[in-house]
Amino acid sequence: MTSDVWGAGEAAEPRQAIHYLEHVMGTVVTIDVYTDAGTAGVETHQNLARARGVLQRADAVFSTWKVDSPMSRLRRGEITCEEAPPEVAEVLEQCEIAREISCGWFDPWAMPGGVDPTGYVKGWAAQRALSEFTSTEIRGAIVNAAGDIASVGGPGLAKPFRIGIVDPSSPGQLACVVELPGAIATSGTYERGRHLIDPHSGLPTARVASASVSGADLGLADALATAVAVAGEDALALVDGLDGYEALTIAFDGTWQWTANFPFASTSS
Amino acid sequence: MRRTPIVIVGTVAGLIGVLSFHTTPAHLTLGVLPATSVPRSSPTTSIAGGSPPGPGSRGTNPPPTSTSSTTSKSAPATTPTPTTTRTPATTPATAPATAPATAPATTVPIAPRSANGQAVNYNYGVLSVAVSVSGGRITKVGIASLNDGGNARSQSIDQQSIPMLEQQALQAQSANIQGVSGASYTSAGFIQSLQSALSQLGFS
Repeated sequence: MTSDVWGAGEAAEPRQAIHYLEHVMGTVVTIDVYTDAGTAGVETHQNLARARGVLQRADAVFSTWKVDSPMSRLRRGEITCEEAPPEVAEVLEQCEIAREISCGWFDPWAMPGGVDPTGYVKGWAAQRALSEFTSTEIRGAIVNAAGDIASVGGPGLAKPFRIGIVDPSSPGQLACVVELPGAIATSGTYERGRHLIDPHSGLPTARVASASVSGADLGLADALATAVAVAGEDALALVDGLDGYEALTIAFDGTWQWTANFPFASTSS
Repeated sequence: MRRTPIVIVGTVAGLIGVLSFHTTPAHLTLGVLPATSVPRSSPTTSIAGGSPPGPGSRGTNPPPTSTSSTTSKSAPATTPTPTTTRTPATTPATAPATAPATAPATTVPIAPRSANGQAVNYNYGVLSVAVSVSGGRITKVGIASLNDGGNARSQSIDQQSIPMLEQQALQAQSANIQGVSGASYTSAGFIQSLQSALSQLGFS
């Protein structure tokens, strides 16, 4: 179906108006916006500026490798949570909820070196950045924080975003494609720059090669993906019990398991 | 330090997609991706290669028809649904056929050339990226220099960077997806240095 190719579709189809990369949080966040005209008006550009501000502020507040960030100072005990910017309390509160939901498999308080909400913040910030895209001309927007994705709307009329999930045994390939809107986060250990810590043992652990969690909120999806990657397939039940959230695991031997309504794309493209 | 240069051939479109974001929508870069440059074996095939059904497999139903609360599959051929969404007939044929019509006139140099990017700080040290281009196409990306002050974490710099490049390539090779979800952690420093190398070569 060639009309799915960007820019090749009919005039009535929304088209990509913005493709932007923000270097932030030690990684790259891509922002894509789709409008009917394929162009972005003043308001949409203002939305983009605010979204970038959200990401930059999250980096400034929560970076654990910038020694002067409020989060770093909090970890060293130099300031209290009350003295930190208000986002810190908000994020830690959400982390606590995620810790409860995940039965402790996601636990920023069990990380080496003190409380570290990094596993939540990236998704949280991307979700907040997405919420800035309020211009009425926007038909779809997607914020991809290095593989953790928040989206609203779609790239076409009544058409969902299609997101590929990396094959953990071959990171240059896709394992499958899912359809959003909503959020999806993937955690795993095939990317060695990022270690997963088992909060129950304090040791680097992953019981599956890859865990993806979809749902309404990327912060929670990100936290749950981390939890499932550490805990393994058994934690699928945790996600299954959560309204609107679905999960897929890919084990080291290539076995897949998923919750009943995981949003696999339909076979037709 | 001993270090094999990272060589990536076939991630051109992805890279240019990264680097041209101010001026060019991602889809316009598809024209420079050779259809055969990225391995296109289907996910099903690659999984089947070394993946016997796991002992924990509980079923082989394709996902959309699943009714149990959790479902599993043994990776090989029994699972058409999640892996047949990108058929060879659709994607490779579509991308080259469509993109040239919309691609802007390119002004990049034709002769093969190489450049090293500026040395930039990244999380664990200082690095410089080397890049080679030929005929308006990136043919090689590697690490020109890396000073990590003995930090063992820098050993993973290539693992941090390559998946990002591969993800971009994936996005480019399949015009039918709008993003890639994966456990990646990429180095902004890598991209910064790469950008400076490319701008020396006439990419902007």
